[in-house]
Amino acid sequence: MTAVNLTELSLPQLEGLKNQLDQETEFLTTSIGQLKVVQTKYVEAKDSLNVLNKSNEGKEVLVPLSSSMYVPGTLNDVNHVLVDVGTGYYVEKNVDDTKDFFKRKIDFLTKQIEKIQPALQEKHALKQAVVEVMNMKIQQLHSQQSSSSTTSKA
Amino acid sequence: MAEAIQKKLQSEVEKYQMIQKDLSKSMSARQKLEAQLTENNIVKEELDLLDSQNIVYKLIGPVLVKQDPDEAKATVAKRLEYINGEIQRHENLLKELERKSDQHREVLTSLQQEYQRAQGLAVGKV
Repeated sequence: MTAVNLTELSLPQLEGLKNQLDQETEFLTTSIGQLKVVQTKYVEAKDSLNVLNKSNEGKEVLVPLSSSMYVPGTLNDVNHVLVDVGTGYYVEKNVDDTKDFFKRKIDFLTKQIEKIQPALQEKHALKQAVVEVMNMKIQQLHSQQSSSSTTSKA
Repeated sequence: MAEAIQKKLQSEVEKYQMIQKDLSKSMSARQKLEAQLTENNIVKEELDLLDSQNIVYKLIGPVLVKQDPDEAKATVAKRLEYINGEIQRHENLLKELERKSDQHREVLTSLQQEYQRAQGLAVGKV
């Protein structure tokens, strides 16, 4: 980014800059929100894997056929699960590998969030600075107007 | 005189807006491709981590179909190749459109100046 002295910009330019920064901060904030939602999903999925252990093998479960209908079943394989790896591919993995898979995904998302966070803070600080300069300019304009009106009266 | 320039100005503005539209269309298409590229890269990473014990299924409509892992890898690799090609194509398209839009902007500013001058003359005559 080229270093521009904010005080040299005109009010409309500052206004435009502020709107642009508004948009950027909003975009980054929603991105972080989305990443966090996906991350929670992975954390939940990882936690629910803990139910698949030896002591639960052969137990009865109710399998949802639709959101309002369940059929009884037995849990006869606690070692393997099917994981959606994206673009329509599913892979049968054992539970430990699946836990690794989720851990990878969660770490990946954490890294992405950590990448975005500083950028967001930077934009935020810049926006603050722009708003400050804008306020200063407006005040200057006001005092100029009031002084010129008093001189015209006199 | 001023009216003729105004008409020309208007048609030029319309052309310019068309280019801007194409530009933003191309831009969002490129963004979509970028997202697909990321997703396919992630899938490729996952498929590369598999060993012979893992079974790969492909979701076709509502059905999961068993698929050979090597075949799946080949498909994803081919897809990556295609997406990269498409991104390159859009990149060139974007460059071309940007060049055109810059050209149009220049034409527009000179037309605007001409128009203002013509208007000034007309007012001067009155």
